[in-house]
Amino acid sequence: MENEAVVMKNVCKDFKVLNRHEGLAGSIKDLFSHDYKTVSAVKDVSLTVNRGEIIGYLGPNGAGKSTTIKMMTGVLEPSSGEILVNGKVPYKNRTENCENIGVVFGQRSQLWWSLPLIESFKLLRDLYMVPQKEYDEMIELYRSLVDIEPILHKPVRQMSLGQRTLSDILAAFLHNPAIVFLDEPTIGLDVSMKSKIRSLILGLNKEKNTTVILTTHDMGDVDALCKRIVIIDHGQKIYDNDIEHLKNYFGSYRTLKLCLADGTWEETLIDEKTTDVMDVIMARQKETKITDIKILEISTEDVIKKIYEGGSV
Amino acid sequence: MNPRRLIALTRAGIMESLHFRLGIFVTLFANLIYLVLVYYLWKAIYDSSGTDVVNGMTFTDTMIYLILATALFNFLEMFVVWDMSRSIQSGKIVLDLLKPMRFRIYTFWSYSGSHVVQFVLTFIPTFIVVMIVTGGAIKMGINLLWFVIATVFALIINYSIEMMVAPICLYTESTWGINIVKETIVLLLSGASIPLAFFPEKVRMIVDYLPFRAVYDIPLTMLLGKNGSDTPEGLLKMFGLQLAWILILTVAGNLFWNHAVKKITVNGG
Ligand SMILES: Nc1ncnc2c1ncn2[C@@H]1O[C@H](COP(=O)(O)OP(=O)(O)O)[C@@H](O)[C@H]1O
Ligand SMILES: [Mg+2]
Repeated sequence: MENEAVVMKNVCKDFKVLNRHEGLAGSIKDLFSHDYKTVSAVKDVSLTVNRGEIIGYLGPNGAGKSTTIKMMTGVLEPSSGEILVNGKVPYKNRTENCENIGVVFGQRSQLWWSLPLIESFKLLRDLYMVPQKEYDEMIELYRSLVDIEPILHKPVRQMSLGQRTLSDILAAFLHNPAIVFLDEPTIGLDVSMKSKIRSLILGLNKEKNTTVILTTHDMGDVDALCKRIVIIDHGQKIYDNDIEHLKNYFGSYRTLKLCLADGTWEETLIDEKTTDVMDVIMARQKETKITDIKILEISTEDVIKKIYEGGSV
Repeated sequence: MNPRRLIALTRAGIMESLHFRLGIFVTLFANLIYLVLVYYLWKAIYDSSGTDVVNGMTFTDTMIYLILATALFNFLEMFVVWDMSRSIQSGKIVLDLLKPMRFRIYTFWSYSGSHVVQFVLTFIPTFIVVMIVTGGAIKMGINLLWFVIATVFALIINYSIEMMVAPICLYTESTWGINIVKETIVLLLSGASIPLAFFPEKVRMIVDYLPFRAVYDIPLTMLLGKNGSDTPEGLLKMFGLQLAWILILTVAGNLFWNHAVKKITVNGG
């Protein structure tokens, strides 16, 4: 197999949307309307993902992340540009491409609602024609990474959101695909489930060398999983490099935390190149009483926030 | 079309259907009420006609036909149109398109398990009751085999009709009306609510060649050994009609689906 799992060259995706009119009369008018506008969801994105990488595909809501992932899975055709996934054009070979990828789309489940999880697993095993031995090994691997006993015989319908997400991730990896796409998998989960899911993804990536493309708004996911991040905004790629590089770039930034008299912490982001931290503390001290001070390196969260706000790299 | 995949889907479908046991009892109860109404309606028709045989069918023939048509209807009923419009609205269709099987085949076999359950739990019991009550009015011979084969073809035709209608929901947002129209046409023209023998001669000539007849009327005619289905020529004609419609509807359905699915792959649904 080639070393590249995904290659995208100058990929664009435009959606044609009807300009809708308001009210009942408007709705009737819409039936016959040809008044379309074009939304450019992805603009000229080029990207190469190597085998075994976990990349964080980040960007604010509506940036074009899901659209990109759908193009890589083959359910969306790019308007222009080239995509190769496992060396093939996904939308031309969708069914074939599916055998070699796994997907989890945040709040939707591919599991069979009324059946116990183990039955969904068996069905997926047969749909993907996984040999029994490989299936057994995979289940063993799952056992070693997370405690699956409590959910294995539970109908999916009765699971908590966290258990269901965990199950969906396990289902996506079951046929040992070369690439797994995870579109906002940790959305709405509690801290302990998030950390379980992170160590599961990391473990599977290590054991099976699976390429993982992950979108998330949780920088904890990014810190735990991704060496490399790609940031996209308004459909355009604005950053693509190691996360360390990004932190160095913002290396002069500090998060200043001040504890006020009422016990609340106040946070300010300061660029040491332009502002003196001591000046800020002194200025604030003149206004109110400060009981404690912390100065931290910039967090991933703040770095990303700065980039979204327009601090170009 | 690897059998391993098809068997797995059928197996899961059986388990899922059995999960909704209550639904099966509701169906049986609704049938009972429906059949009581049908019984009195047709009794009145026969009483007022003054003869025992109307359009070549005795009262018993008509009752057997309609009862088994109802049982067949429960067994063949699919909710493809309804399911597809819901899964397009919720976006779940994307996950179905990402299965390692062709969508048309995947969907068909996702329903096969519930057909098996309906056949065993509603059709067979109804058939046995009818057999006992009418005491030998249904022949027990090779006609049973023809019936089973014709029913499998009917299942495929019925699915193909559904797949001719379901993709419409990719072009319009309200499928409710379309679905009702489809159901009415199928029920009326297939012989499921009025035996086709009662249709006026002129209408019958057309209806005889439509695909709807191939769903209910052909299997039932074969079961009851009517209309020349006990002769080789009669059988050949009926099976020929079924196979022709399978071919036509599969080709047309594939073309239509390939066009409709672009609404998702190009316009994002
Ligand atoms: N099917 C669609 N039809 C029209 N516009 C769409 C469609 N899907 C997404 N969009 C638009 O494309 C842009 C990118 O959406 P998306 O890829 O879902 O963003 P993200 O996943 O980054 O939040 C948004 O402006 C969204 O409104
Ligand atoms: Mg998204």
